Amino acid sequence: MGELASYQLSDFILFSQSAYFRLFELYNQAIWPLHVVAIFLAIFILYALWKKAVWSGQLIAVILVISWLWVAVAFLYQRFYQIHIIANWYAYGFIIQAGLIAWFGVIKNRFNSRVESQQRVKVGLALLLFVLIAYPFIAFISGRKWIQFEMFALTPDPTALATIAIFLLFKTPKYCYLIPAGWVLISMVTLLVM
Amino acid sequence: MKDKIRQSRRRFLKFVSLNISLGAGGFFVSRFVNASTSPIITATIPSTNEKIPVIGLGSSRTFNVGNDPQALDNVAEVMRHFFSAGGALIDSSPMYGSSQPAIGYGLNKLDKKSDIFSADKVWSWNAGLGPEQMEKSRKYWGVDAFDLMQVHNLVEWEEHMKTLQQMKRQGKIRYIGITTSHGRQHDELEEVMRTQPLDFVQFSYNILDRDVEQNLLPLARKRGIATIINRPFQRGDLIGELEDKPLPGWASKINCENWPQFLLKFIVSNPDVTCAIPATSQVVHVKENMAACYGALPDQAMRKRMIDYVENII
Repeated sequence: MGELASYQLSDFILFSQSAYFRLFELYNQAIWPLHVVAIFLAIFILYALWKKAVWSGQLIAVILVISWLWVAVAFLYQRFYQIHIIANWYAYGFIIQAGLIAWFGVIKNRFNSRVESQQRVKVGLALLLFVLIAYPFIAFISGRKWIQFEMFALTPDPTALATIAIFLLFKTPKYCYLIPAGWVLISMVTLLVM
Repeated sequence: MKDKIRQSRRRFLKFVSLNISLGAGGFFVSRFVNASTSPIITATIPSTNEKIPVIGLGSSRTFNVGNDPQALDNVAEVMRHFFSAGGALIDSSPMYGSSQPAIGYGLNKLDKKSDIFSADKVWSWNAGLGPEQMEKSRKYWGVDAFDLMQVHNLVEWEEHMKTLQQMKRQGKIRYIGITTSHGRQHDELEEVMRTQPLDFVQFSYNILDRDVEQNLLPLARKRGIATIINRPFQRGDLIGELEDKPLPGWASKINCENWPQFLLKFIVSNPDVTCAIPATSQVVHVKENMAACYGALPDQAMRKRMIDYVENII
């Protein structure tokens, strides 16, 4: 295993930028009209946060679990793994995160304990609105084809960011941040190294 | 493979005039030779004296396109131009994602399985999985057998080498080799080259990274090992740095019209180099690269001039 230490991160990013972004294009074409479902999931989350009902926390958690599982299987394992030799490990990480959210948010119903810090709430809500509303337009704004857009519940980056945003609104244990934050870091590095 | 070279020559000779000198394209021909009237430049594999064109085709990154039908057709188109220009050696690895199936798609579409010099790698920290991995790779390519199988990045090379030697004895592969890149693990590679019966060795070499001229290339010559050069453009960085800089006027003396040809001719004019394997996903680039397989090559004085020029403008 000594040889493994001689590898650099770029050695594992063996796909081009065009192949990576084209993946989103083909994925979006293949899963249409699931984007409508994703929009409804986003609306349900915002409604549940606003309603503050007894079922709100669990509904949000269920939506997050579905999102993380979908992204793990449909995007990371079935698509990204074709061009990225370690994307299967990413998929396993997303499945573990789905399990954590299921345990914490659905079974333990801990998404009913909101944080008191208004600053944290503002940051969380701002990030959540940005991800749910603005994020799909980033591809177009950055000069890529509009159809290469990324949406919450369908692709990893907005799903991880929205999850972090929601965690900020509740008294979420720190370990729950590990995988979404780790993914954001991995994604950033991937985009830089590509 | 000799037949393949002959076929390439026949294709080429259709376009040349009757009064050309077939000896004009050899190594270290410093006088001006019109690239369009010279034969393809080949190098000899020391262990068999088989000749292969000095420019091959890498597939890292560029052919890793998943099952994107548009991109797969583009890969096939790049391969079509590679073969049309007389190319033969294509190199891949299980590490390169979907590059192997993409090559298989291209070979099948172009019906070129008999024209290729297929070079792949075994890359597993569990040597017991090596045969299974190589068989999977062979099926991806759709070839009957690989010409060359290499141990990728020296991973578990002791065990993989035993497997490869056995496969060679059984006629399942024709040549065995070992690879590294980025200038890593050269001490260990030297040790392998000194002690193992290798046909090929692969490492990085380019006009700026020339350490291998001191050790690996002379050792390969001494041991009769063919050399494959990866990352001839520093993964594109070198082209990126040079593309806005002027190509020297004297580059025309060695039939270079652009930087990729300049950089490739520098590499393949080293007498200890057998083949350079630039990777590309663009037809225009594979045409440029393959043009380095024709015309004059620089002699030692010209090579020194090339180094000085590049080092001065970067």
